[in-house]
Amino acid sequence: MNDLQNKLSRYRMKPVEYEKMRKLLGKEPSNIEWALFSALWSEHCSYKSSKIHLKKFSETLNDRVVNSQGENAGVVDLGQGERIAFKMESHNHPSFIEPYQGAATGVGGILRDIFTMGARPIALADYLCFGSPTAPRMQALVDGVVRGIAGYGNSVGVPTVTGQTQFDDSFNQNILVNAMAVGYLAPGDPIALSKAEGVGHWVVVVGAQTGKDGVHGASMASQSFEEGQDDLKPNVQIGDPYFEKLLIESCLEVIQKKLVVAIQDMGAAGLTSSSFEMASKGQIGMDLRLDLVPVRENLSPEELLLSESQERMLLICKPSQWEQLEKHFLNWGLVVAKIGELTAGRKVRLFWEKEILCEIDPDVLVENAPVYDRPYHAGQISSAAKEIKRISGNLKDLYQQKFLGVDHSSRESIYRQYDQRVGALTVQDASVDVALLRLPASGRGLSINVGCRSFLMKQDVQIGAKDAVYYPALQMAIKGCQPIALTDCLNFGNPENPEVMTQFVASCEALRRACLDLDLPIVSGNVSFYNETQSQNARGELVRENIIPTPATGLIGLRENVSDVPADVFQKSGRTVFLVDGREVQGSLKVDLAHFIQLSKLSASSQMVSQGGLFFSLLKMCQGQIGFEVNEKSESLTNKRTITSEILYAAIFEPKDQDMFENYLSQHKMSFSKLGKTNDSDISILDFFITREAFDTDRARGLRRDFEILA
Amino acid sequence: MKKKMGIVQFPGSNCDRDLFSFVTKKGYFAEFLWHKNSFNESDFEALLLPGGFSYGDYLRAGALAALSPVMTSVKSFAKKGGPVLGICNGFQILTEAGLLPGALIKNQSLRFQDQWVDLEVSSSGTYFGKKLKKTIRLPIAHGQGRFYLPEFDLKLLQDNDQIWLTYLDNPNGSMANIAGVLNREKNVAALMPHPERAIEDWMGSKDGWDFL
Amino acid sequence: MTKLGVKIMPRKVILDSQGRAVEQTLKLNQMNVQHVRVGKFIELEFQQNKNDALIEARRIAEKVLSNPLIETFEIVEME
Repeated sequence: MNDLQNKLSRYRMKPVEYEKMRKLLGKEPSNIEWALFSALWSEHCSYKSSKIHLKKFSETLNDRVVNSQGENAGVVDLGQGERIAFKMESHNHPSFIEPYQGAATGVGGILRDIFTMGARPIALADYLCFGSPTAPRMQALVDGVVRGIAGYGNSVGVPTVTGQTQFDDSFNQNILVNAMAVGYLAPGDPIALSKAEGVGHWVVVVGAQTGKDGVHGASMASQSFEEGQDDLKPNVQIGDPYFEKLLIESCLEVIQKKLVVAIQDMGAAGLTSSSFEMASKGQIGMDLRLDLVPVRENLSPEELLLSESQERMLLICKPSQWEQLEKHFLNWGLVVAKIGELTAGRKVRLFWEKEILCEIDPDVLVENAPVYDRPYHAGQISSAAKEIKRISGNLKDLYQQKFLGVDHSSRESIYRQYDQRVGALTVQDASVDVALLRLPASGRGLSINVGCRSFLMKQDVQIGAKDAVYYPALQMAIKGCQPIALTDCLNFGNPENPEVMTQFVASCEALRRACLDLDLPIVSGNVSFYNETQSQNARGELVRENIIPTPATGLIGLRENVSDVPADVFQKSGRTVFLVDGREVQGSLKVDLAHFIQLSKLSASSQMVSQGGLFFSLLKMCQGQIGFEVNEKSESLTNKRTITSEILYAAIFEPKDQDMFENYLSQHKMSFSKLGKTNDSDISILDFFITREAFDTDRARGLRRDFEILA
Repeated sequence: MKKKMGIVQFPGSNCDRDLFSFVTKKGYFAEFLWHKNSFNESDFEALLLPGGFSYGDYLRAGALAALSPVMTSVKSFAKKGGPVLGICNGFQILTEAGLLPGALIKNQSLRFQDQWVDLEVSSSGTYFGKKLKKTIRLPIAHGQGRFYLPEFDLKLLQDNDQIWLTYLDNPNGSMANIAGVLNREKNVAALMPHPERAIEDWMGSKDGWDFL
Repeated sequence: MTKLGVKIMPRKVILDSQGRAVEQTLKLNQMNVQHVRVGKFIELEFQQNKNDALIEARRIAEKVLSNPLIETFEIVEME
């Protein structure tokens, strides 16, 4: 291998990218420049394969959006002065290597994106996809990821209030760990931005000392897992929730007191991405003295630039406010140091003491990053979706094999490990479908929910991606919450594979349309590509396996108040149970959303028709103390097509007052049917019957049936 | 004049703000007391030690917090009979500081547990929670809440009516189902469950309201 | 019977968050210490002779007791 090939492989760059870099620099790049370009032009930092498709999401923005893509997180105005910053991010690759630290630092990273905006983190949600319970390492991966989320979230004092956990063989060698954080800006709270401003202002680093953690992490996330990676032992980042907590409180303090001009989290590619991005956004120059960055061991300039040591922030302050700023951070026991200042020259200059290491226009790195229109099959993007397969079999078998299986069993053994109430705002925790918090200033409800169902994505990406918006939105509506805005985390395979790229483009298109249908702005997001594994099959051939495409979504919604939220389970015996259709004809779902909100006010319990169809949804509603008896004349139930149909976009309601409920339905000409009646205990649905006792015993073990380790 | 309660703030405390809002809702003044400082004891009616992960819970939960300068004032305040209440991590700190007997070790499950528990109020001889009902419902959220004490000392605790709260259905393997204890003089009290998370109907229970 | 100890420490290159917190607090409270690292110590008892026990202990420490990504270990002879 010659020198150039060596470098291309070491810095994980393509020959065309090298040519472009050389052209932009007008010279052969130095080692430092190689490192900078490698980091900032990685998929992780530059979004080079997804950028042109994500741009279309801006069509979804509406006047509620205060701040969107481009900042650390999106901010949405809820009225009455209350604003919410929220975002979702993946930490898939690190979590597969070291599940505890991978998941923990994932939580830490997404929290920093929120409080850098000046918003106090008030909730966390997670979206997890694991492989089969019998796949190698899977028991330890599930356990490690859950402990990692708990270990970090509980300690920093942000409640984990909701989430989703799915299992499929395609995740056997590439799990998905997506975390969402939600932050609150009270009336009058300033929003902090990352745009560097003011020649002569100081550049300050605060938080943990820098070590060699995760050097080249950003380019790792842009590579697929290779078989045998267990031997690679890459440098894992270690999170410290204790330090993060100090950083949260101190940063919110200085932002509140307006002591910072701009602030940015030092995430992927550490100091490199934060400094160059801040300078580029502000169209301003920056002189940085790398030797002044507080370190916990000896680091080369290159390592310093790329270190992903956790719990660090880069900020810009006025020299006149430095003393005050320093006092705040020192009071919290944090290391803070001035490492440079803003200059008029539009160049970022990196120094080691007096020696200049590199001088470069930040736009060359940030704005001129490569953008790829990767090949995909355009013809398949808007092709009509296939019909979704119906699960088949008799009800008894479906109950035994599926309902008690890993897809439907209770997640209690997971969420019980999360502190769900710290912050004292939690109204509805992870034990129910939709989480609800009480907004401190107005007393209104903030609902949080995540979406994307693997079983649909597996069959059709368009139906699945649309569902990733519709389903969580409808789940909110039947609890009386108006969906307000959405963040996404797009987990896909290798974008260089046209099949994968087709899935990606089709998903983006479906997400965009669904969000336009429901007037839901996509305010922030994250893309995780290269979720694939390479392994040898029985014949010794190399095969690449991609994950099920997974555009996970995180929604927030608003509720007038926090009282009388319909339960997920039946509340009282002797009541008639209704199935109400969401029509979903060309955008009319928005109308149904409004109707569902009204119907929720008349209901004691409600549930969307879910995976496993009407049958499983009714079973889920029986998980309290109240049972159910089918109305033998109900067409929706006796019709074999509908009882197990999984995408009806219909909801089951248990009205408090049947007359009022029926009046509303007939007044608005809604299509509905009466499914049956609630009773004291047992469950009978057509030829399926089970006693309360047997049902409770069956359910008791929950996820522990497949994951002994969670016991 | 309204009475003032001091809320001790350690780095890593995370229920301090929740407690602050509870105290003010009850109509008291509240003031944070920073771990690095001592304070004027006579300014305060009572002191509260909040939950959280003080100093990251590193070494042992509460062990590093017990070293803080502020604890010197807390100890002196308690010695003079001033009422002190520890919640969750606050309980752990008070045992590490020697103001309460026993130790809180890892839950039997070896995991963090977040759940609602039913409690029996076994002793009412304290400044805090005088109006509590006989049985109450509060949430717990801890990884190290299993109360432990040598058998002989447990007997002393029982004889002196120092067992304040007990779990009806023991969630963590606590000795004698203990969820909260008092010191001998009954002015220092602590519990693992979180009253400040159960003070309004929408929180799921209002039973915590009567603790202050 | 052979009694062996396994001393497990965070890798030097990796952040020892626990050691950092303990160190800061000790210093804050005027305890005269330069640097703190926190690891763990595990005792193992074997029926085998010392040589076999050492091999087995090493195997256990590598496979289970330590996480080579973030920790190093050392076998210590006891008694």
